[in-house]
Amino acid sequence: MRWFLPGLFACILAQAVLLAPLSLGGIRPDLFLLLVFLVSQRVSPEAATLLGFLVGLFQDALSGSPLGLRAFTYSIMGFLAARLSHDMYTDKPLALFWLLLGGSAAAGGITLALLTFFLGPPPLFPTLLRVIAPEALYTAAVGLLIVWLPQIRAALARAA
Amino acid sequence: MSVLLRLLARYRRATILTTTLVLSFLLMTLQVRHETAVVSFTRQVLLFTVSPFIKLTAVTVQGVTGIWRDYVDLRGLQEENKGLQRETATQKRRIDQLEEQALETQRLQALLAMRQASRAEFLTARVIGKDATNWFKTILLDRGSLEGVRRNQPVLAPDGLVGRVVEVTPTSAKVQLLTDPVNAVGGLIQRTRVTGIVSGNLGAGARVRYLPLMADVVVGDQVVTSGMGGVFPKGIPIGRITAVDRRSGALFQEASLQSAVDLSRLEEVLILMTLEANASSGAGTTFGAGASREAGTSLGAGAGFEAGTGRRP
Repeated sequence: MRWFLPGLFACILAQAVLLAPLSLGGIRPDLFLLLVFLVSQRVSPEAATLLGFLVGLFQDALSGSPLGLRAFTYSIMGFLAARLSHDMYTDKPLALFWLLLGGSAAAGGITLALLTFFLGPPPLFPTLLRVIAPEALYTAAVGLLIVWLPQIRAALARAA
Repeated sequence: MSVLLRLLARYRRATILTTTLVLSFLLMTLQVRHETAVVSFTRQVLLFTVSPFIKLTAVTVQGVTGIWRDYVDLRGLQEENKGLQRETATQKRRIDQLEEQALETQRLQALLAMRQASRAEFLTARVIGKDATNWFKTILLDRGSLEGVRRNQPVLAPDGLVGRVVEVTPTSAKVQLLTDPVNAVGGLIQRTRVTGIVSGNLGAGARVRYLPLMADVVVGDQVVTSGMGGVFPKGIPIGRITAVDRRSGALFQEASLQSAVDLSRLEEVLILMTLEANASSGAGTTFGAGASREAGTSLGAGAGFEAGTGRRP
């Protein structure tokens, strides 16, 4: 919990400035969502909901989205991640990747549903193919890298 | 009261989740039609708390990128002759720096030329951040209300329209790009004077919508701002038509648009602060250096910005 605020701060800077050169076809990984997932593993569902809400508010403020769009999404994602973390804990990279992919896709689905409700239906297939799917893949890959960074580093040290 | 509190405590989890969801929903509802003071204030506070750090990070990143580029160049050259390497590296670095300076000078000269050519007052701004999501297209500028930036001011680049200011803090401003899905700009097909609405498309550039079904629109047509809506002056280049979509049974036709400005590589932009609406001899004053010159549409040519001298078919 003590690294939540520094983590949020780092996410804000990375998402707004640092990740721009790493975008693939205009798509960047969603570090805010990863932060929500990581924090939710260590706190109660109530706290995870509130932290998800706060993270979402900051992301909304830094984007062109209506204020509350990502706050809504991340409140649900935080709650679910904290609630299910015990049942769905895994240390297998492939399973973790699929979990992150599913979580990110679910967050994309909620966002799409909210946008459809508030702003009218966006083109479904282009949104799925050009935004939700690549974002989920990229986010899951980066998430896996972050979670497995200590293990990768240890393996490299052993090999050296 | 105590029963209610006991119930809330008992169902704390559900209460918190419901409260955050309702609050988020309420915030979104409040800004669907008109942004209320509460939403605007919340946004500005959140943005204001982080924008100085974003600005600082952007400046640092630019510096570090320059140093890193020099370092990479140096490393590459070290594999060659060691005697010549130092001299070459220095020269290469100098050339890189000069090229970078030349490019920056070119960009700034183009901005300056545009500023001088049009009868408008511009404020130059640097791009310090990009949208934090993949869903919307906004950028963050290093100028804010302290420099006179206000909401709805048009933002331009030498090649054409970039977007408009949608959020202002004392030290930064958020710009909604032309390709943002929520954006809508009145567009005019320059060749045939047909009007439509240019709006962003989730994940796929921009489109011109609501073009009359029988209107003459072909690939390659240039689209400029129509001046309708009161936000953007008439005649600013928006882009070119890349595909026309006529569906049977539809009331309107649509077209895909390639933006005149490469919005993914923006570094500096101009914020249109004021326009001399009363300029009497502005008809020959063309906007920008490129496409608009062919069109002859003028910026600031007369009252209400509507007195453009665009060619008619």
